[in-house]
Amino acid sequence: MFSAKAKSEVLREVVDVISTLVDEAKLNLNKDGLSVKAVDPAHVAMLDLSVGKDAFEEYSADDQEMGVDMDKFKEVLKLAKAGDIISMDYDEEKNRLIMSVGNITRRMALVDTAGMSDPKAPNLNLPVKVTVRAEELRQGIRASESVSDHVALICSPDGFEMTSEGDTDSVNLKLPKDLLESLDCKETVRSLFPLDYFSNMVKAASSAGSITMFLGTDYPVKMEFTISDEKGEVHYLLAPRIESE
Amino acid sequence: MLPDSDLVFQDSKSVRKSSLCILCKGSRKLCGKSRCPLLVKYYHRSKVMPLLDRFNLDGSSPPSVFVGRLGYPKVYVGPMVPPIHGNTEILDLPEKWLNKSIDDIINYRFQLVRGMHRTSVHELENPGRIVDLTRELAMATYSADVEAEFTKKPSGRLVLDDSSQPMGPSAPLKGFDVDNLKIDRRIDRAYSDHDLLAKDAVIELHQQGIPVTKIQRAFSVGAFGVRKRRKMVPTRWSITAVDDITGKELREVVKTFGTIDDYRIYWSSRLDNRWAVLMMPTNWRYELIEAWYPETVWNPAKNSRILLINDWEGYEGRTTYADIGGCYYAARLAVCESLVAERRQASTVILREAHPGYILPVGVWNVRENVRNALRQTYESFDSLRSALFYISKRMAIPVKRWIRNSHLLKDRLYQRRLEDFAAG
Repeated sequence: MFSAKAKSEVLREVVDVISTLVDEAKLNLNKDGLSVKAVDPAHVAMLDLSVGKDAFEEYSADDQEMGVDMDKFKEVLKLAKAGDIISMDYDEEKNRLIMSVGNITRRMALVDTAGMSDPKAPNLNLPVKVTVRAEELRQGIRASESVSDHVALICSPDGFEMTSEGDTDSVNLKLPKDLLESLDCKETVRSLFPLDYFSNMVKAASSAGSITMFLGTDYPVKMEFTISDEKGEVHYLLAPRIESE
Repeated sequence: MLPDSDLVFQDSKSVRKSSLCILCKGSRKLCGKSRCPLLVKYYHRSKVMPLLDRFNLDGSSPPSVFVGRLGYPKVYVGPMVPPIHGNTEILDLPEKWLNKSIDDIINYRFQLVRGMHRTSVHELENPGRIVDLTRELAMATYSADVEAEFTKKPSGRLVLDDSSQPMGPSAPLKGFDVDNLKIDRRIDRAYSDHDLLAKDAVIELHQQGIPVTKIQRAFSVGAFGVRKRRKMVPTRWSITAVDDITGKELREVVKTFGTIDDYRIYWSSRLDNRWAVLMMPTNWRYELIEAWYPETVWNPAKNSRILLINDWEGYEGRTTYADIGGCYYAARLAVCESLVAERRQASTVILREAHPGYILPVGVWNVRENVRNALRQTYESFDSLRSALFYISKRMAIPVKRWIRNSHLLKDRLYQRRLEDFAAG
């Protein structure tokens, strides 16, 4: 059983986060809320999202899984304005999700979840933790996009840096310690990441004030931020590029 | 092997900015001139054949038709007819041209006279006899006898183009007649189905094993699609449309299969072009990299460096038209066909070296047939990308480092780590 009502912007954020990595996802539902774990087809990035039931206007669910096509979900969201309430009900008999916006009802066939296993996150020991204002990162990404297709994240006890090296040009975002929300760093670390993934992840954090990153050297980055008025949590993991000849 | 130096090579990114010719390939008038100066050079070299000094022509059409693109949507359409009788199929069936020389191909094409009749691409309900017959001819199974009458004598110059096969002389059409015409049953079925989408018609016919050239020919005369939306499609656009539609469909099938287990290199070499097809054991991805030597068609001699240009797609495909143009889609179709036949998935990087002996553009069939040919051969198998690249370094003239620098997929495979690389420990 699943029945819920939510503001359209809450659902939109959830869908934006999921569709950075996958087109179809398995939603895990239980009485406390919903969660999604997914890995992208290239196995470069992973996401772990959970939204508590208090992010919804109304929410009740038993333990169950639901396979959803994100494009269909987006079609329904396009019908709604900010503030509109979208209601969702699971039709067990026909295995469909019934969504209503205003006077429109969409009955949505669900995707088979048999092939979708929950990915296991690797156990990582990331020595550095830094929290940056999301707006600063967005600005840095905007500056890098025309220069290169990858970006280096560097952290030292003095601050955080993001640099992008192209063939001829380079971009550098430098945030000294006092401009950071928090910094826990004893040694300098540096890892290189694909800009398209990193950029999509940061853009998915559209309503988060700040983003926390866990970093190492030539190691994946773990990103954490909140969505849905801090009632939801997103963890991303992104594998690095290592440019050795 | 060549030295890996910027004096010798120009990389993809700066090629895009500075070399208009390789992006335009004679089709987009990027240099602002009314005719492509490179092609004009070749036009002057080609001699007009005096065999067509007459107002009518009697011969067997391969079958072949032409739909022009200049003046779209008001374009020239009409049959293509040689001054000879019999089975002339080879004149317009690039699927059989793999082992032909450039001279053979020019010779085939130069025999075909294009009849030209101006019409709107939308005019399909009551288009008149010329368009009706052209359409029937485009759907024919075998060579059909054509008697054409012109208002002027055919004037000959060779028309070269990167997408379509070279074209011979042309003349304005007064009228024509067709004899011994047998329409292909399978194409006719798609033609008679007024609710079948053009896309689905193309896919079905390709699944039935009809050569791409034949599907494209019927596609160009507006034989497919929902009745009210049918229209004619210029020959060169229809070639890429059919390559793209069939390739996209097969790509989704490929994605349902498991990946190959090894790194593979397939090989083909024709018309002074060298082709290496590298397959890697990951999810679907695809890239084509072309290297144009100085004095090949799209790299005029004043630029004495080898130009490299690449286009690629990830698992989801691409949303913009490839800069490389029709070749990208023709090669992708060949890759998908092979993977579907094997019921496997892979990511594929095609490396093409166009050496100076490649003096004339012959059409995208060259790309499609060479990649198909490569994939029919037995491949060399490797257990790592590095050993596969080492093998490439021995058979291609361009240093591997230079290929890597211009390849999105190779860089990604070599440098981008996967999450499972960090799973242990």
